Amino acid sequence: MVKVIKNKRRVPKSMPSFFKDRKPKKNRQQADENPSIDCPIEQIQVSLSGNLNNIKQKTGNSSDVVIREIKMGRNSDIKTAIVYVDGIVDNQSIQEYLLQSMMKDDHKEEINQHNALDLLSEDMMTIGNISSITNLDDLFASLMAGDTLILIDGVDRALSASTKGGEKRSIAESTTQMVVRGPKGAFTESLGTNTAMIRRIIKTPDLWMESLKVGRVTKTDVTLMYIHGVANDKVIKEIRQRLHRIDIDSILESGYIEQLIEDQTFTPFPTIYNTERPDVVAGNLLEGRIAIFVDGTPFVLIAPALFMQFFQSAEDYYARFDIATSIRLLRILMFMISLIAPATYVAVTTFHQEMVPTTLIVAIAAQREAVPFPAFVEALLMELTFEILREAGIRLPKAIGSAVSIVGALVIGQAAVQASIVSPAMVIIVSITAIASFATPSFDMAISARLIRFLFMIGAATFGFYGIILCLLMMVVHLCSLRSFGVPYMAPFAPFIPVNNGDTIIRLPWWTLRQRPRLITANTVREGSNQNPHPPASRGMVNRDFEEGDNNEA
Amino acid sequence: MEKAKISASQLFILMVLFELGSALLVPLAIDAKQDAWLAILLGMVFSFVLLLVYHRLYTYYPDLLPTEYLQRILGKVLGSVLAFVYILYFMYDASRVLRDFGEMLLTFAYPDTPLFIANALLMLVIVYTVRKGIEVIARSGELLFIFMYILAVAGFILIVSSGLIEIKNLQPILEEGLFPVLKVVFTQTLYFPFTEVIVFTMIFPYLNNPKKAKVTMLCASGLSGINLIITMLINVSVLGVDLTARSQYPLLSTIESIQVANFLERLDVFFMLALIITIFFKICVLFYAAVVGTASLFKVKSPSRLSYPFGLIILFLSITIASNLQEHNHEGLKVAMFVIHIPLLAIVPPLLLLVAFFKNRKKHGRNKFN
Amino acid sequence: MKRKGVFLLLMMTMTLLLTSCWSKKELTDLAIVAAMGLDKTKDGRYHITLQIINPGNVAGGLQGGGGGAQSPPITIYSASGDNIVEASRRASGRISRRLYYAHTNLVVVGERLARKEGLNTLIDGLDRDPEFRNTSTLVIAKNSTAADLVKTLTPVDKIPANKVLKTLEFTERKWGENVKTSLQEVMKSIESPGRGTVVSGFRLVGNPQQAQKLDNLQESAPAATLRASGIAVLKQGKLVDWLYGKPARGTVWILDKIQGTDINIDWAGKKEAIAYQTVRQKTSVSAKVKNGKPYISVHTRVEGDIGDMEVPVDITNPKVITKIEQSLRKEIKKELETAIKRAQKNKTDILGFGEVVHRTRPNQFKKLKTEWNDVYFPKLDVDITVEAYVRRAGLRNKSFLSGVKENQK
Repeated sequence: MVKVIKNKRRVPKSMPSFFKDRKPKKNRQQADENPSIDCPIEQIQVSLSGNLNNIKQKTGNSSDVVIREIKMGRNSDIKTAIVYVDGIVDNQSIQEYLLQSMMKDDHKEEINQHNALDLLSEDMMTIGNISSITNLDDLFASLMAGDTLILIDGVDRALSASTKGGEKRSIAESTTQMVVRGPKGAFTESLGTNTAMIRRIIKTPDLWMESLKVGRVTKTDVTLMYIHGVANDKVIKEIRQRLHRIDIDSILESGYIEQLIEDQTFTPFPTIYNTERPDVVAGNLLEGRIAIFVDGTPFVLIAPALFMQFFQSAEDYYARFDIATSIRLLRILMFMISLIAPATYVAVTTFHQEMVPTTLIVAIAAQREAVPFPAFVEALLMELTFEILREAGIRLPKAIGSAVSIVGALVIGQAAVQASIVSPAMVIIVSITAIASFATPSFDMAISARLIRFLFMIGAATFGFYGIILCLLMMVVHLCSLRSFGVPYMAPFAPFIPVNNGDTIIRLPWWTLRQRPRLITANTVREGSNQNPHPPASRGMVNRDFEEGDNNEA
Repeated sequence: MEKAKISASQLFILMVLFELGSALLVPLAIDAKQDAWLAILLGMVFSFVLLLVYHRLYTYYPDLLPTEYLQRILGKVLGSVLAFVYILYFMYDASRVLRDFGEMLLTFAYPDTPLFIANALLMLVIVYTVRKGIEVIARSGELLFIFMYILAVAGFILIVSSGLIEIKNLQPILEEGLFPVLKVVFTQTLYFPFTEVIVFTMIFPYLNNPKKAKVTMLCASGLSGINLIITMLINVSVLGVDLTARSQYPLLSTIESIQVANFLERLDVFFMLALIITIFFKICVLFYAAVVGTASLFKVKSPSRLSYPFGLIILFLSITIASNLQEHNHEGLKVAMFVIHIPLLAIVPPLLLLVAFFKNRKKHGRNKFN
Repeated sequence: MKRKGVFLLLMMTMTLLLTSCWSKKELTDLAIVAAMGLDKTKDGRYHITLQIINPGNVAGGLQGGGGGAQSPPITIYSASGDNIVEASRRASGRISRRLYYAHTNLVVVGERLARKEGLNTLIDGLDRDPEFRNTSTLVIAKNSTAADLVKTLTPVDKIPANKVLKTLEFTERKWGENVKTSLQEVMKSIESPGRGTVVSGFRLVGNPQQAQKLDNLQESAPAATLRASGIAVLKQGKLVDWLYGKPARGTVWILDKIQGTDINIDWAGKKEAIAYQTVRQKTSVSAKVKNGKPYISVHTRVEGDIGDMEVPVDITNPKVITKIEQSLRKEIKKELETAIKRAQKNKTDILGFGEVVHRTRPNQFKKLKTEWNDVYFPKLDVDITVEAYVRRAGLRNKSFLSGVKENQK
């Protein structure tokens, strides 16, 4: 097909380029298109040896491609071969079910070239999942996925038996999202295990799954999961569309997919949530969201995501409402502190010294007499040092970890203060900021806070509190303009949906949260009415004539 | 017109923030001495009449922007000219508010900074916001509204617990009689800030539920009026009439007087924070109205791009409209009031309503015969 | 298009950051002024004395280490000028830092300046400045110049300004002979028609030269100290009289500012035998105008406890309590009358009676306004009613001496 190049210029050259539409990009030849799409589809050859040679050539005689030739039929004249890749197949099922059923069976007499495949697939095979393949692409795809191929001389089709297996990690406790109360198992790298864990939690047939393969070379399995009737059809369609549009050679982790389908790249805030825990995924599916599983990583994507989600942890829902509310409020407070604490300190000591009580300002002035740098440089130095410490701490083996923390505390804290490089107040502020930044449950949001903090510091250093407020305004406007798959990012604060606000920075008791989030789901009724507890004994005074019961407990 | 919808509560919040705008800053109606609060109350009540006029004009043409229905009412040429005059008025008002804000910042917090820089920074954020459209403005308003009210309530509690309020300062009531109060109402309070709400006729077409427009408008006016009354009451009772009349920014002086528990002092920075929020929204709404009006008048395809040059215009206008603060105030209270505000806000809309009434009656009459 | 936008943004950001921030004030460049003294020199110029805090000597802690009292916690700088702004800017020639007035909580005015010129000319410069606080306290230096007062070093409080402020605050609460007036209150009372002003006074007891030295603090009873002393009466901003003792307390009483004080009454022949500690009081002033003549009535209501009884008294008997209350009433009424007579003698309405008339009868006050202080106020008929109540008497009921007397019988 010939591609038509349209000329995009609509305005004359004389107008200032400010108002012109974007200049048309030079038309690059689409040279990097995948040639295999235009080539004709290759078929499996009839001759067995031809097919085997083809396989050996395509896989470059890799040592883990096992080809076992068998003779079947009355006179052992039908040559068959099974091909599999050692390591990604379940050896036991090949030996016990495949080979056994092929070699030790009673239909030996009736087999001939014409009905071989049908007989094999319908009468003899004791493996669960069998399908028939006609072209070479599917052949290699299923071979590389861990299926065993059964080729018969003289037939131009092949059978592919599902024997996926191999060494997998067992279900262990989550290392990044720990809870005190709640299920402890986390996802593993195997897609089948992960989806099975969700099936065990949500046992309704409305839980639908769609699979596709993304990535030209890695051909990674990606599964979309949602609850039909609760999830929004438009969002499902949008996600499906975006996934199909992905044209990249490899998908190594769900992060690749996240970055390829997200709404807006130039924003520090994440618009897709990821988690390692099955109960979190199940909870989100029940609210109408869609989960994207990627084979090879335990991190599952959840879309659409809202700002408040990144401050909620699974434990909030299992605890009672008073402690859950207080902890959520505390988290929001800590997030705000981690954003603006160093900036506020810089602004107050450089521009607005009148705000501080006199005794405190005298104490801070005494400390700063000895320090050579202005407050902003000091803050920057300390923050950078802390970021370096944090990065270094991730890669250290556990044995040295404690030594580094002692070194860090001693060197930075004590010695730097005494060497008059930084002032003690600055050390306190930076430590409080660092601790506060660990309180955010979602790692992605904590990272964005780390970056934005520097912006606030620069704003504070140039214009004091005015700078901080302007940065804050810009952040608020930016947050309000974000959308995650069509849903406004700041819902349910803005647009204000009163009934959904019981689950944001506070968490009202479960019997009040009767509706699902309105903008995400299609079916908003979650609970029946009148769910509040009705204990049998009354809490007030009991009138003798009206109430039953013999309150004789003393 | 944008393809956007805002809800009635978002409109309410925008209107409250808009009206509080720069009215919190200046000594409102202080020419009426201790009875400033009465002047504001009367101004609010009388402004309801004009607000109902604006609303009625909206109900005649619920889906059209004012620039479009002006052309329908008065004919293409006269309508476009009048629409253009209104757009210029919005831009002038925006530059006035920006100038007010910059002067306030320079007076008490950043005396050495040039006015241009202070204004330019705010203008940057505003241009960024207006580019994104009315929905984003409304949503940010919802978030910041709660924040502002928390600040206001905290400030009120602090003032009360400092023991600064002396109700005796508000007496004697009506010392000079009702006439000076009425004079202030009809020359100042009626127009600033209550009937500047005419800007919202540009935003009414975006409402998703047109029936709620009237109630929203009146409630918002009422709430902001009450807020302004309380503010003026506190100002006069804490500072006394003479000091309030002499101050450029009485609310600032009130907040400066807060002294609680020996360590909460000099909290004027929080005052600045609350004011930045309200002024930000006032300028955003005025700016947005000007941009959308121009886009619809001159049939510009992407109004977002218009916001850059308009931003520059408003910025430079704010620097050049007056050479010092006193001239700026004088211009606002004495000159602009009579030349610009009174005709455009109080005289033209009722006339428009009359013409629209006759036009629509004829239309209805014709329909009856069909 | 996008590239151009990014380029423009980059240019703007760089220009913004390259220019130094205009209003930036590094803490190490500030000289924090704790107190300011205002005097008038012989050639009619203003002389200001600034008490600047040395942060290193005040805070101590990690930096200071041992030997903290080697250098004084404050430093004094002075300058002269034709008005306060000029004097303040001239002082920059002597100080290595920028004067920062946002923490100046004390302004001392010398007595001579207050008498000759009054406070009116000083106020505008202080009021208009955005850095200076309106809530700072105003004090008049008695029998000395403001400079001597500001230079004094004090024990207990490292910063002498704090000593003055805290002394005023506590004596207002405990004894009631002084008031803590902020600049804002002074302004309000000077501005209001027909009203005089009261400002507390402070005195330097001892040798001014000795007061500036650090070894003044090395003794347990320092030779030179600061003491609160009386109330200054200002008529139209100028100092006309000092009040001490009973007239002072009576004035503060009528102004409704007494919080706690001690009133002694005579009993059984002994003078000042019973001490009564007030806990709360409320004074209200009301005005009437009849035939162009104003009439004022003062009503006060006091509650308190008995603190000390030096004669044997049996207060378990309610009749005795009633008698004590009656004596109290007489005593308090006498005190209030003394205060009013003194104010009338000075022809200055410092008690706020004019304002009450203005508030309740504004139309009639307009006629009286211009001559209120000189003509109407001195001839005013004031009707005082006092209600005094004894509520408790501490931990004991009968007096100790009555117990002794009984046992000896």
